[in-house]
Amino acid sequence: MLAVTNIHKAFGTNEVLRGVDIMVEKGDVVVLLGASGSGKTTLLRCINFLELADQGHIRVGGIDIAFRDARKKDIHAIRRKISFVFQNYNLFNNKTALENVTEGLIIGRGMPKSQAVRIGKACLDKVGLANKFDSYPGQLSGGQQQRVGIARAVAVNPEVILFDEPTSALDPELIGEVLDVMKRLATEGTTMLIVTHEMSFARDVATKVVFMDEGNVVESGRPKEIFVKPKERRTRQFLQRFLGDSDYAI
Amino acid sequence: MNLDYDFMLETLWLALPGILVTFEIALVASAAAVPVGLVLGIIRARRVPLLSQLARVYISFIRGTPLILQIFLVYNSFPSILAVVFARLGVEYNIFNLNPVVYAFIVFSISETAVLAEVFRAAITTVDKSQLEAAYSVGMTAFQGYRRIVIPQAMSAALPSLCNSITDLIKATSLAFTMSVMEITAIAKKQGAMKLSFIEAYLDIFLLYCILIFTVEKVLKILEKRARAYQQA
Repeated sequence: MLAVTNIHKAFGTNEVLRGVDIMVEKGDVVVLLGASGSGKTTLLRCINFLELADQGHIRVGGIDIAFRDARKKDIHAIRRKISFVFQNYNLFNNKTALENVTEGLIIGRGMPKSQAVRIGKACLDKVGLANKFDSYPGQLSGGQQQRVGIARAVAVNPEVILFDEPTSALDPELIGEVLDVMKRLATEGTTMLIVTHEMSFARDVATKVVFMDEGNVVESGRPKEIFVKPKERRTRQFLQRFLGDSDYAI
Repeated sequence: MNLDYDFMLETLWLALPGILVTFEIALVASAAAVPVGLVLGIIRARRVPLLSQLARVYISFIRGTPLILQIFLVYNSFPSILAVVFARLGVEYNIFNLNPVVYAFIVFSISETAVLAEVFRAAITTVDKSQLEAAYSVGMTAFQGYRRIVIPQAMSAALPSLCNSITDLIKATSLAFTMSVMEITAIAKKQGAMKLSFIEAYLDIFLLYCILIFTVEKVLKILEKRARAYQQA
């Protein structure tokens, strides 16, 4: 379970987050929607302390702390409870697919190697890469790399996995394989907070959709409510632009 | 031009042990410069306050002055300084009996450290910061991320420059003759002076350095290829 309250973040004079609250319950698949620059990615990066929020509070897996009060030790403890899937995969270039997955277990968590390898192989198998254990990132397609990225995030058994536009860097024909893996995780009850522009994924898989604009949460609710009957004008505009005159009644 | 081939052969034979001294200096300097240079490189790449500025001053001074001047300074000042230090500590040792190769170790370590600090700094900045973020995201500390992810990648990026600077270092050790260290160049100089046949002596070591550097380059290339295995994927 993850709860973030009143998070603020500015880069210089540019206020990117202006008091966002977000709540992810166990088993939730929360999809964050919003135009570029609305602060979605910054929100995820602040939750994982890749950026330090100026203000706000985070509660995750028994830790409850204000962002500004978090010391190295707290940040490390929080990161162990949250894993991250990056837009550009960010696989360790000098490690094989299997090593990418086991690195966090062996080095980050001090797990015995044999156990880590067993978990790592199971996770890669789960994302359909059982035949790529020894491949380096450079030998894998974008879709395969992102699936390794997901396996790496799953392997550490986090409370919640953050996905930062996991399919945005992919060729269109490779998006499906990554979304399929994410769908499977969702049905298994994995807790996820996802930034994406894949509207049909949001509609079909999300348990909750949050729409952000200019650093604020404008509207949130079940996908049906948001996609079919958005209350806010800005949400409607955004969806219209993305979906055009498609099959969603807006 | 008539060359004295017998003398050349004799001198070549005599100069061979000098290779060991040359290697000794290069090895000691590298052994000091690789770890210290790496730490300085990381400090510079991460812009650690104060330490980064101090490292920069050190690097500027060393890289901004001729090596021969550094040699003269160390060789002329260190014995006196050490003599005072030893006297204060009550160590009974005549510093002026010290093997001059020790001063060569000091000078070449100091200068090579500055060179490698810049090599490593540049190499570390080639590793995208997202690699470190990925390490954080799986629960690794900054230290673990550097040790396991950033430094190995930086090292393979640094290898070509590292190899260059090591061959430069081997060639630079020839300047140790000014400290009366009997390495290859010093031996050739001495032999040449004895027979007044400098050309033969210098041609000898010309050849010797060529073979030496060629061999070292080949070995380093092999190492480089191995270390870059993941990039050729």
